[in-house]
Amino acid sequence: MSDLTYQRHGGPAPAQLADVLERVLDKGIVIAGDIQINLLDIELLTVKLRLLVASADKAKEMGIDWWENDPFLSGRDGRHRLEERIKRLEEKL
Amino acid sequence: MSGWYVFGVADAGLAVELEGLRLVRAGQLAAVVAPVDPDEFTEEQLNDRPWLEEKVLAHEDVLSRYLREGPVVPLRFGAIYRQLDEVVELLGERRDELTEDLERVRGRVELGVKGWVDRGRLEETLARKRAMSPTSAPGRAYLERRQAERDVAAEASALLADVARSVHARLAELAVAAVANRPQPPELTGRAEQMFLNTAYLVPAADEALRREVGTLDEQHRELGLSFETTGPWPPYNFVGREEP
Repeated sequence: MSDLTYQRHGGPAPAQLADVLERVLDKGIVIAGDIQINLLDIELLTVKLRLLVASADKAKEMGIDWWENDPFLSGRDGRHRLEERIKRLEEKL
Repeated sequence: MSGWYVFGVADAGLAVELEGLRLVRAGQLAAVVAPVDPDEFTEEQLNDRPWLEEKVLAHEDVLSRYLREGPVVPLRFGAIYRQLDEVVELLGERRDELTEDLERVRGRVELGVKGWVDRGRLEETLARKRAMSPTSAPGRAYLERRQAERDVAAEASALLADVARSVHARLAELAVAAVANRPQPPELTGRAEQMFLNTAYLVPAADEALRREVGTLDEQHRELGLSFETTGPWPPYNFVGREEP
């Protein structure tokens, strides 16, 4: 049964495929399902996607690794610091 | 062999069962699931790009449809359970975390912003701005020109980093939360321009301020060969889940 093949209802344009792949494969809550598709398989896939999505070296080479060495901006930790900063700014206003 | 694919978690009070989907309810939470054959998800299939893209797009489509009904917490691709009871258990075990996420994203959506650079055009503009002084001896002219090219390339990289940082900081002021992701490579985007900014923002659903600001920033930077675009609204993929260990 393949109910994952839905009629799509005005989903993203094809140009956004990369954005969809990035979000659905690399973001969102991770839970441990209990079937053959275990986390190991997903990790495999995610590693492959990450390689495709960009290696850090490549970004550096292109001079666009601005977020990498900036704990303020990069990753989830950055997000929380940013939230804190926004909160502080709001308090000042 | 049968199983249940879990797309995400919605508000049990707002979500309805859309065509081909079922809701598994536990208190305030409702998991959005569909029957699936788990045997289909082999490693070989998972690495088959067209197959994977189709499933990934379906996953996104389901979450986007639920986003119209109310808040939704996206799960990452590939969560499958054998029994519906196990989905109920999942909702129970992670109730606090899921409820917290659901409340954080309620009435809000994720917007994506991408910055693109036409590198050739940027470097040309910078080279022109430098208004290089006339060189002396012919032999030195070549070396000086090479040096100038290197300088321009370095200047372009520094400028991109500065613009990315300041644009992200500016947009973050208009958002509830903000996250900077790694730009996608040309292999994935299929575009001639290089992506130098790939960020996401959590904003109130009807708030157009961030989108407008991106339009303004886009106009301001066109001359340099830079452009910005907004994508979404997306389900809040970038704004759920606790800190990863």
